[in-house]
Order: sequence, then structure tokens, then C-alpha cells
Amino acid sequence: MSSEQSAALDQRPGIVKVLLASPILGPVVALLLACIFFAVMSPRFLSGPNFSLILQQVMVVGVLAIGQTLVIITTGIDLSNGMVMALSGVLIASFASQKGLNPFLAITIGLLVAMGLGLLNGGLVTGIGLPAFIVTLGTLNIAYALTRIYTTSTITNLPSALTFLGNTFSLGGTAIANGTILMLVLYGITWFMLKYTPAGRSVYAVGDNVEAARLAGINTRRVLLGVYTIAGLTYGIAAVLQLARTGVGDPQAGQTSNLDSITAVVLGGTSLFGGRGSIVGTLLGALIVGVFRNGLQLLGVESTYQVLITGILVIAAVSVDQLTHRK
Amino acid sequence: MTDEPQGRVLLEMKGIGKTFPGVKALQGVNLAVREGQVHALLGENGAGKSTLIKILSGAYTRDEGEILFDGATADIKTPADAENLGISTIYQEFNLTHNMTIAENIFLGHLPTKAGRVDWVTVKRRSRELLDSLDVRLPVDTLTGGLSVAQQQMVEIAKALNRNTRILVMDEPSAVLGEKDIDNLFAVVRRLQATGIGIIYISHRLKEIFQLADEVTVLKDGRYIDTRQVADVTMDDLVRLMIGRDLEDVYPRRKAEPGEVVLEVSHLAQAHLAKDVSFQLHAGEIIGFAGITGSGRTEAARVIFGADRATSGEMTLHGKPYRPRSPRDAINHGIALVTEDRKRQGLLLKLQVYFNTTVSGLDRLTSFGVLRLKDEMTLVRKWIKDLRIKTPSPEFMVVNMSGGNQQKVVLARWLSLGIKVFILDEPTRGIDVGSKAEIYRIMTDLANEGAAIIMISSELPEVLGMSDRVMVMRDGRIVKELARADASEEVVMQYAVGHEEAAS
Repeated sequence: MSSEQSAALDQRPGIVKVLLASPILGPVVALLLACIFFAVMSPRFLSGPNFSLILQQVMVVGVLAIGQTLVIITTGIDLSNGMVMALSGVLIASFASQKGLNPFLAITIGLLVAMGLGLLNGGLVTGIGLPAFIVTLGTLNIAYALTRIYTTSTITNLPSALTFLGNTFSLGGTAIANGTILMLVLYGITWFMLKYTPAGRSVYAVGDNVEAARLAGINTRRVLLGVYTIAGLTYGIAAVLQLARTGVGDPQAGQTSNLDSITAVVLGGTSLFGGRGSIVGTLLGALIVGVFRNGLQLLGVESTYQVLITGILVIAAVSVDQLTHRK
Repeated sequence: MTDEPQGRVLLEMKGIGKTFPGVKALQGVNLAVREGQVHALLGENGAGKSTLIKILSGAYTRDEGEILFDGATADIKTPADAENLGISTIYQEFNLTHNMTIAENIFLGHLPTKAGRVDWVTVKRRSRELLDSLDVRLPVDTLTGGLSVAQQQMVEIAKALNRNTRILVMDEPSAVLGEKDIDNLFAVVRRLQATGIGIIYISHRLKEIFQLADEVTVLKDGRYIDTRQVADVTMDDLVRLMIGRDLEDVYPRRKAEPGEVVLEVSHLAQAHLAKDVSFQLHAGEIIGFAGITGSGRTEAARVIFGADRATSGEMTLHGKPYRPRSPRDAINHGIALVTEDRKRQGLLLKLQVYFNTTVSGLDRLTSFGVLRLKDEMTLVRKWIKDLRIKTPSPEFMVVNMSGGNQQKVVLARWLSLGIKVFILDEPTRGIDVGSKAEIYRIMTDLANEGAAIIMISSELPEVLGMSDRVMVMRDGRIVKELARADASEEVVMQYAVGHEEAAS
């Protein structure tokens, strides 16, 4: 073989090479390993109904993680998402069941409140230049307090329009929740936006280097405001899913959702230093968390230990990311 | 200077080899440095200079070869090994902690103690002595964060001296300095040399090697080419050794037929350094902006590009009033800025070649809100080919490219938009000779096609070689306009530093 030929062969991307270069390789392998492990340990794990359950369990955190991914790609972080979701959920439930508002109008109000808080986060980050960590820590507390001020009791008797997304339909004998489909559609839209639109490119550019992005002609403030506002919208949608799944408006909801969503994003290979990340990875990350929670439950592991293992998982994922991307 | 090298050989690196996955970075490289000698290490980007000094400083470990220090075998495996031998390296990016004082930085990691507590009296006295020996008049308790680049460099040197350095490696120390600070740096280097320290001096600037070095070792493509006495070689010899061919004419000839006025700037001022800048730029013209660092050239450029606001003054573009509100606004008006700091301001380093190339012109590649990725790739491949950008693929991350290729990616970004007014701030800083020539050719082609170019540069040969007219700035003002024929390095420098200073 001539050297030219071998050079040409070297350039041909082998399947192994493509996989190695792919940012979602790690999450895919981790998810497969977790599934194999739990399938061996528990005969109940590998079944249609169980997978359906996992998908229903991850849909709330999965949707929260979409907004979180966008924020983290821009080098930010959003600690407020679980509380924003709780506030939005309580408002929707209360307006629709106690105040007798049209449920769709109630949902619209809930989404607007969530977007408003997102816009507030974005405004403080871009306008005053505060670190996202501090800003969202503040809005976390504000949203938490507002929720408790509004109500401390669980709101029941939700109209059927609010529980529709929790209903299931049968696909090949397996029950699939409507909300799971909504979550997958949202992931699809976000994936498309990041890959195929100038706005998506801007998100990565701002995350890589905000000053270089500005000098390349990107309106960096608008990008950041947009990202935080859209993130707020996903938290509002997560609130609707939360209502549908539990059937009640719970002021206690979402207490650990911020960390769960960050875990999903990080497990999915998105860099906490910004500019690099994949929404498909986040979906896989959310599934990894779901599989672990579910598998450990099947094995009869106490919930406190589940939290312990999730904590170890996050630190392991970030360490692997750091070690593989060190220069 | 005599033909025989002076001084005892202090450091000898023999047959050094280093392989990275897929790349033979170094092969059979030799380097011998004598006491009290300035030894220049020369080579294009990617020639292996950085790898060699990283092996010497313990940042990398060698795969082959041996290192002798003071005649004894030295097995350098960690930065601590190098430090114990008395080898210090000053990298281009300084290693200072900005919210600490000069004295604290000098003693960082080596604080002397007395009865279990830090002996601040000794720290301050010794720091004062070190700064005095370098002619630095700053108080030792100044925070390093507020220092100029030149002052920070002096603190780095003081830090090295405090560790009983016997070999000092300086990685392109002049690249970050203006002409005046460079003179000061040279004086310091000569003083260190007189104390018997061996200095390894890395620079792209051939002129400096003749001013400063005793011996020069040339590397090319990771291999050792030759070591010569500087007194015995000419600049042409070095260029030939370095790039393996003659560099016929670095600055391409060009028909200078300036067209109509494209950009007119009058009495432009900005909050910081630019105070009163007025000039006219014609189509097909290259204006060189000379001056020392801090003379306001970059600041004026940023205002023209809409990156900063003007505090007063007027601009017209093609005869119409022009007042850019943002870089995007300037780009839409057909003005582009190639920034001085390529890595922090010019490029999205961790993103790909294609991303960086099209990031400013995505609207042209969008139909109904959706990017035409195939068209984008076609466009990017065309520019990779046209500008001869060396990259394995359009998906390659720009952080892994050489300086010259990175700069070509920046240029491709603006060329693909059909920009007509270019502001190039230090366009060839940190770029090897081969790529420099290519960038000059691109500039020449652009001007010939009617583009108007402002080139800010601290390298006088480049200013004189490329410009139709030279504007000399000092203290935020254009103090002199010179036609190409009237400009010489001496005249430009005189105006740049001010007659008063030049006379004293």
C-alpha cells in the first residue's frame, strides 16, 4: 500500500473513531452499564412496565434539565429551577381548581410567571454582571418564599385538563405517558435549535467566550436574556408535568430538583465551564439518574442511600470530564 | 565578540526526543548553554521550541536523550527537579497571583519563616533588593494585578532570581512589549548575563537575536538544524535555516493607487487612551499605525469597530455619518476588526474551525430560520483551501492550531462576509515567518481589490514594509503622518516616543 493510500485510510473516520470523538459516548456507555448491572441484579428491571415507569419518573427532572443545559452551556448555572417550578405549579393548580379559571389560562399564567423569573435571572446576570450562582440562589429563595406565602397546603381536585399529561396510552403493550412524549418533543426542539439555528450557535459562542462572541457581532445580552427566559419556560412546563404526574399542586415540590437537573446535565457530558455540551447527552444523563433511582429501589436500597449514590455519580462524572479534557 | 564561544558549558541537552500520540514532536535535538551566555532558540511555530523548554522545565518528560547540568547527568522529571537545579522558565503567560503583592509573588511557595511565623522583614528587604537590581522603582507591597505587562514581567524575573537561578528560559519575552519596554528588557537581560546566568531566549524577531544573543540554535519540524555563533551569521542565513528556503520578498510589491475616501475620522476621542484621532482612509490603501503600547491605537480601533463608545468626534463612512452602536452594527456597515489578542478576543478557542469561520455571517447561511449546514461546509472548505489553512478537518478545534493558522481562520471569517474596511491590530503577533508572509500577501490582495486597511503594529519593519502611509500615535493623538518614502525606523521611533525623550 502506498503512503498516499494509507494516509487516505487514516482520514476515513472509522466507527470507533467517530464514537470516541462523540461527546455522548460516555453517557451512552454509562447508561448501558447501569442497565446491564440492574438487569443482572433484579429480574424485574428489564420489563416494559418498568421502563415506562422510569420514563415517567424522569419527565419532570428531564424537562427542568433542558433549561439547565442551555444555562450551563453559557457558563451559568441555575439553582432556582425547582423552586420556580413549585411556584408556577402551585399558581396553576390554585387558579384552575380553587379560583375556577380556565385551566389553559391558568397554565399560561404559570408559564409567564416562570418566564418572568427567568428573565429576572438573565437581567441580573447581564445587566449588573452578577454571577449566575448568586443570582439564582437569590431567586431560589424568593420563589420558595412566594410559594409558601401563597399557600402551605397541598392543592387537590385538579381539573382533568391538568392531569391529561399524566395519562398513559398503550404502545405495543407498554403504557407510555403523554408527558413522556411531550418531554421527548421538547428535547427534539432544543436539539434542532442548538444544531440548526443561528440562535443555537450563539448560545455556544457566548459560552465559549462572551467577549470574543460580542466582537464577532453577536448580541450577547440578548442571547443571555433569551437563554434564561427560555429556561424559565421549561421550568413552567415542568410544573405542568409535575401537576399531571402527582395529581396535586404541592408547595413542597422541587426541593432537590435543582441538583437533580444539574446532575443530569453533568452526567450528559456538558461542561460546567461552558461552550461545550449536548442536549442529547442531558436526556441520557436524566435517564441514567432515573435508572439508578429505579434500580436501587428495586434492589430495596433505602432512599437516603440512593441520594448518596447519586452524589458519588455526579462527582465521578465531573472528574472523568475534567481528566479527559485536560490539556 | 570572538569566534570562540565564551564561558563554561552549564547545560547540555543531547539527542532529545519526545513523541505525543501520533506526532513525533522532537527528534535528536541538541542544545548547549554556557554560563553568562544568551542563547537564542529559533524556529517557526511548531518547530518544537516549546516542547524542548517544557522538557527542560519538567513540564514534560523526554522519551529519548540525556540532560547534563554542570557536567553531571540530570534527570528532570518534574518542575521541582528543574527548580532544584536552578532552571527557571518565564512563559508568555505569567504565573502571578494578581491579588497578592509583588513581594508575596516573589516569595510565593518559598516564604521564609522565623519562629514558625512568616519573616516579612526579610521578604520585603530581599524583594526590594531584587527590584532595585532590575531597576524597578515600584513599592514591594503593590498588588501585581494593577501592574503593566512589562512590570509583571520584571516581577517574574525577580521571582526567578530569588530562586538562585542559573539557567533562565524566556519564552518570547518581547512579544507582549512595546518598543520602549523592550529596550528595558534587553538591559535587564544583559545585566543578568553579566552575573553568569545562562539565558535561553526564544523569539520570532530575528533583529533581537542580533542585538542580544551570543549563540543561536535553530529547530525545524521538531529536528535540530544547527547551532551557530551569532557573529558569524546573517539574517538571511537564519531565515534560510529556519524555513529551509530563501524568503525572497516578505513584503509583496503593490500598485499604490488609492481610490476615494472610504472612512473619515475626525477628532475621535474615547474615555481611556485615545484623545484626538483624525485621518482619512482611502479604498485600496493600507495605513500603518505605529506607536508604543498605550498610545491609544487599539482604543481608537475599538471605537471605529463599535466595541467601545466614542466620547467625542465624528466619523463618516462612504460620505455618510457613521456612529456604530455595536460590533454587529460595524460589521453590517462592512467594517471588521482583527483583534490584537487573538486568543481572548478574536477566536472561540474551544469551538471548531467551521464555527469560528461562519459565526459572524450565519444570517447568509440561513433559510426560513434554519441553517444550511451543507452550504456552510462548502463555504468553509473553500476558505480553508483559498487561505491554505492547515487543519485536519473543518471540525478541528481552533485551540489546537498554530498561531498563523488561527489568524487565517479569523481572516476567513471576515473575508467570507466581503468586508471592505479592515482594522488589523497586530496581525502577525506570535506568528511564524512563513505564515506572516502569507498574511502579508492576503492583505496585499485585498488592497489591490479595493479594500481599505488599517494596520496597527509594533513591529516597525512590518509597518514600513506594508503601509502606503504611516500614522504615528503618541499619548492618544496622531503626532505625525509620513508617506512611505519618508518613513524610516528612526524617524517613526522619534515621533513615537517624542523628541524630548529621544534627545535626552
